[in-house]
Amino acid sequence: MEYDLKAMDLEIKAIEERTLRLKELGAGIEAVQSNADSILTFTYILKRTISDVIE
Amino acid sequence: MESTEKNKKYWNPVIETLPRERLIEIEVKRFSEVLRWAKENSPFYKRKLYGIEPEDIRTLEDVAKVPITEKDELREAQAGKEPYLYGDLLAVPSENLSVFHQTSGTTGKPVYIPDTYESWQWVVEVWCYILYAAGFRSTDRVFLPFVYNVYIAFWQGHYAAEKLRCNLVPGGALETKGRIQKMLEVRATALMNTPTYGLHMAEVAKEMGIDPKRDLYIKKMICAGEPMPEPTRLRLEEEWGAHVYNHIGGTEPGGWAGMCSEKKGMHVIEPHYLFEMVDLETMSKPIPSGVKGVAVITPLCRRCIPLIRFNLKDIMMVMDEPCSCGRTSIRVDQVEGRVDDLRKIRGVFFSPNMVEEVIRAKFPEVVEFETILTQEEVMPVLTLKIEMDPGLSEDQHKKIRARMREELKVKTNLTFEIESVKPGSLPRYTLKSARFKDLTKR
Repeated sequence: MEYDLKAMDLEIKAIEERTLRLKELGAGIEAVQSNADSILTFTYILKRTISDVIE
Repeated sequence: MESTEKNKKYWNPVIETLPRERLIEIEVKRFSEVLRWAKENSPFYKRKLYGIEPEDIRTLEDVAKVPITEKDELREAQAGKEPYLYGDLLAVPSENLSVFHQTSGTTGKPVYIPDTYESWQWVVEVWCYILYAAGFRSTDRVFLPFVYNVYIAFWQGHYAAEKLRCNLVPGGALETKGRIQKMLEVRATALMNTPTYGLHMAEVAKEMGIDPKRDLYIKKMICAGEPMPEPTRLRLEEEWGAHVYNHIGGTEPGGWAGMCSEKKGMHVIEPHYLFEMVDLETMSKPIPSGVKGVAVITPLCRRCIPLIRFNLKDIMMVMDEPCSCGRTSIRVDQVEGRVDDLRKIRGVFFSPNMVEEVIRAKFPEVVEFETILTQEEVMPVLTLKIEMDPGLSEDQHKKIRARMREELKVKTNLTFEIESVKPGSLPRYTLKSARFKDLTKR
């Protein structure tokens, strides 16, 4: 495989972790919660389309 | 550089070219996970899957032991149950829902299918695979000639085209002539359509003095909303001078298969879906490729309303040979009909799609048609009403009817009564066509 899937997976997990941290920091701010949740939706899709492929 | 160029034909080259064994491993693992999720979060599946342990699912043979879900069960799980509308099926809190769709209700009470933001984005992502395989790109201006209403198909298409960065022109509020004018005005290069409406638009455009092939800019069209026999697809290509692609989807599972540039069958969007085929008679026994059967599907990443081995009731066949496009997913032939439309007439299985295949392949003079099944004393009678090109003489009509009767006999092994009717007298459809009417008591 010509792509470094493991490196991509690490980045996806890092985005997820940082987004969860952002949610904590922005507790009570609806605009932060909602936009952070949108990011988490797309990390979910990235995990299904990249991370799950790694054996 | 070369491999980057090669990969431009895939939305996701990592997944779309995975070896089949790996796809199956991922799908079985996901199936087990979705089973666990469904049992833990959906009261309907907690009851239905009682005694089935997700950790026991390790192979496709194990998957085949899990009971199939029928559409009637979805209706029962929703009727009169809490939370209102979605009932026992729902596997997430109601306050997480953001999208509403429903089935058309052609086979009974509609089923309501919601999505969370997450599950909806997954549905849209799957449609990106379908559109990308059909050649839709950010350079396209896509025209959508529909009011989307409560039905899922064109909403998915709309958001997937947006995600592909296509320039999207919604033409729903216009009449057919207005839509054609708008397509001309904006120089739309791609179109989403139903097969029926695609043919109707071409007919109206010609009445307006516009030849879709010569005067419009459409280079590709993807069809949704109803089955499209291959002769209908070819007819659309001829009328529009464009590449026409088929796809398969439904409200409950979302869009799950699409045609690539080879235009030979449709690729199942694996490993987002687990696809199986079961036999026509019992609708439970797995069948090999190359044999006609009924499609059963499990969406593997949509947690909102899980569907475990959902019986689509679509009759089709898995194609054996690998596709030269390089995708490794299962390919299915066109939908040959619906189990609900299948009739046994004089001992012969008849699907209304067979009539469409004959007409679209061999009778371009026919503008519209309708098949009616009646019962006269003990004999079932099939009547085909046809609307022909108004420029033809009665003598030509007679010859066409005689040839049509013969062709239909060869295709279906049944004899048809054929009637010519006045131009414009048969209904025109935009979304789901209803060209078969069964007036007998089944």
